[in-house]
Amino acid sequence: MSNPSAGTPSKAKAGSSQPSEASFKRKRGVFQKDLQHMMYGFGDDANPFPETVTLVEDIVVEYVTDLAHKAQDIGSKRGKLSVEDFLYLIRKDTPKLNRCTELLSMQEELKQARKAFEVDEEKLATLE
Amino acid sequence: MKQSKDPFEAALEEQEESPPDSPVGEDELNSQAPNETQNQTDGGQNILVDDDDYDDIGSNSKNPSHPSSSLTPKLHSTSINANVAAAVTNKNKEYDDDEEEENVEVELSKFPSSADPAKMAKMQTILSQFTEDQMSRYESFRRSALQKSNMRRLLVSITGSQKISLPMTIVVCGIAKMFVGELVEKARMVMTERKESGPIRPCHIREAYRRLKFEGKVPKRSVQRLFR
Repeated sequence: MSNPSAGTPSKAKAGSSQPSEASFKRKRGVFQKDLQHMMYGFGDDANPFPETVTLVEDIVVEYVTDLAHKAQDIGSKRGKLSVEDFLYLIRKDTPKLNRCTELLSMQEELKQARKAFEVDEEKLATLE
Repeated sequence: MKQSKDPFEAALEEQEESPPDSPVGEDELNSQAPNETQNQTDGGQNILVDDDDYDDIGSNSKNPSHPSSSLTPKLHSTSINANVAAAVTNKNKEYDDDEEEENVEVELSKFPSSADPAKMAKMQTILSQFTEDQMSRYESFRRSALQKSNMRRLLVSITGSQKISLPMTIVVCGIAKMFVGELVEKARMVMTERKESGPIRPCHIREAYRRLKFEGKVPKRSVQRLFR
């Protein structure tokens, strides 16, 4: 099922950087740079093979695509797509679930902190 | 090392491992320790640095290019936790729900495990004994991430809907990163089984992917993918 990385000619390497709204044009190597560092962090060589990185990117994009499609199916019952759908999909995978809840709670904290900081700034501005 | 990564995203990843220290040599650890206590009172200032780096969708990502300077905000992040907690409990919890509500995640009583001092101490002892090689690999692990903008573009193209919230992008980036980790680790296991060494080759990744599918960690397509 996993096609070799060379077998995806239909995803033409559109040199344009137009935001893909309905079109499924996808540039190859979108995540290449990040993936190289990530793979090194997870145990690969300092300079991973380019074919390996391309293959991992294809696999990851396919994974995200499948995940998003499934989330959309779930979310369509509710009406719109939300984060809950993704969390439901990974509920069986404990490490991923914990990590995601942690990320989300940190993001909430950040939002609060940002707001608190803005309020303080306004106070300072009005004082002066 | 990757420079364009959000330092605060890196700080977020640090929370998972719960050390307040940055993945740098011992000297920096020791020199930063006194700064931490000083920053307890200066939490508000630090938050600004972290927030600007974190919110790259607002296109005001002030990412310091120098690695050590970009690591210092990370140190402050855990000291921020204490301040944030205090600040939040004093303020009203009013959220402008312009994006999809995250009311589930609102209970800030569940603080990240980095508040656990025992775990922090353990991490610190481990990190202090890392070799250079291990340290650089650990730093790559913490600081690498998939770009939120690219992920958002991909999600928009998949779902066809323009309304992809920031939390959703963050969650999917996190999930994808962990998936990459599973792939690479399993590929390494395959390599040791076959008694090979060196960089990972595509055949190892494919074998790892097959095994993950067998374990059920990869979502199966309900419809066969016909046109690639």
